[in-house]
Amino acid sequence: MTVDGSNGFDDFLESVDRDGAIAETGALAEASLSRRRLLGLALAGAGTALISGAGEAEAASGLPASDVSILNYALVLEYLQASFYTEAERSGALTGKTAEAARVVGSVERAHVRAFRKLLGSKAVKRPLFNFQGTTEQQRPFLKTAVAFEDLAVAAYKGQAPKLKSKAVLAAAVGIHSVEARHAAWMRELFGITPAVHAFDQPASRQHVNRIVASTHFIVQRPETKARGKPKYTG
Amino acid sequence: MIGLLSTGLTARHRQDETAASAALDALPAAPAMALQVGRPEHLGSGRNLSSWTIVRAETVAHTEPAATSPIVATLATATADQTPNALTVLGTRTDAGGQLWVRVGLPVLPNGTVGWVRRRSLGAYQTVSTHLVVDRQRLLATLYRNGAPIFRAPVGVGTDSWPTPAGQFTIRSQLTRYTSPFYGPVAFGTSARSAVLTDWPGGGFVGIHGTNEPQLIPGRISHGCVRMRNSDILQLAALMPVGTPLTIR
Repeated sequence: MTVDGSNGFDDFLESVDRDGAIAETGALAEASLSRRRLLGLALAGAGTALISGAGEAEAASGLPASDVSILNYALVLEYLQASFYTEAERSGALTGKTAEAARVVGSVERAHVRAFRKLLGSKAVKRPLFNFQGTTEQQRPFLKTAVAFEDLAVAAYKGQAPKLKSKAVLAAAVGIHSVEARHAAWMRELFGITPAVHAFDQPASRQHVNRIVASTHFIVQRPETKARGKPKYTG
Repeated sequence: MIGLLSTGLTARHRQDETAASAALDALPAAPAMALQVGRPEHLGSGRNLSSWTIVRAETVAHTEPAATSPIVATLATATADQTPNALTVLGTRTDAGGQLWVRVGLPVLPNGTVGWVRRRSLGAYQTVSTHLVVDRQRLLATLYRNGAPIFRAPVGVGTDSWPTPAGQFTIRSQLTRYTSPFYGPVAFGTSARSAVLTDWPGGGFVGIHGTNEPQLIPGRISHGCVRMRNSDILQLAALMPVGTPLTIR
């Protein structure tokens, strides 16, 4: 990543690949899962709202079905961030200002998750399982990933806001968007790159964000720890 | 001089605030928000949480977080039950070359062996707040959640000839819908191994399971496994996730 940080999240994966942090690990277990499949895992719970029209008439809290779909999409990103900061804090690997930032930002992202889940009720997608591949356990990879996640969230909110039909949802989304932008600036500062570079931030489409998230291989299949075979234990 | 300047700035600031407030009042009210984001809450102490993961690529465990240290075990991706090889996470460390290593409890003899595995060979971390304790003296199993007991049941444990091993282990799998009255309706696989029945099919692992002889419980009646009455093992199955740490004492 360049020192001025002008590349943003678009170049995140490339920069990580150069360092080998994800290439080494991402090529292992998840290699057999296609990008589309991985994305499907993340958004599986929201599938009916995101892809088909099934259940649209039962949208949460009387919201338009398309808004429910967008809210679930945002919820997946909030899950991603909340899980990332929570795991980083629990790892105990972060120090100084970075540890404090992770603690504060993590508490905010978890508040976002709770709020989305409360609003969506039974329509809320389930939390995916994340394998952050060690990025939560070392300071520099943590900051690099945090910058990417926050930039990604800001661009994603910006991309969806104009599509929201409910002004009440839009007002809430804008309120969260600016918080994510503050987080992005904070993490950029800690990483040593310019917090604000451009005079105008570009939005990111859902497809683009999905591609980025899928490419990290951070979303993984939940291991199936139940089986039907006859026990072979000592008895 | 400083005091005068300060007073002047304060008065100016008040004027600005009044003007800004008036301008804001003139704006139309914002729409009600659909989302009420509550107060951020910091994580608890995590005192009663445990992390576990799975082996996602066959690997070896070392005695130290260094590739040059002796190998203590080879870890497959699957157990004999054909479930993912679950391990309790005990810590992490970065070596001089920047490689991340994870300290894990190993499902090998002697029981209690720990080792260091490369992070990249392991899967996602998952967290549980449960902890199962089997007391061989009192013939009692207690499941704790967040440090508080939520389940207790009498158990059968190993005889003097085939003792149930003591130590810190991991609940690795849950087997159901098999046909074997001997094991009851549910069986949990653990990382504990019999030090006596080393040639037992599957490696001599100790399970926690139901029984077709409930009248023998509590007692010292097994080949090392922890047996429960079927009603108890069914209740435990509803409460205890895979990944739960197991203490046998």
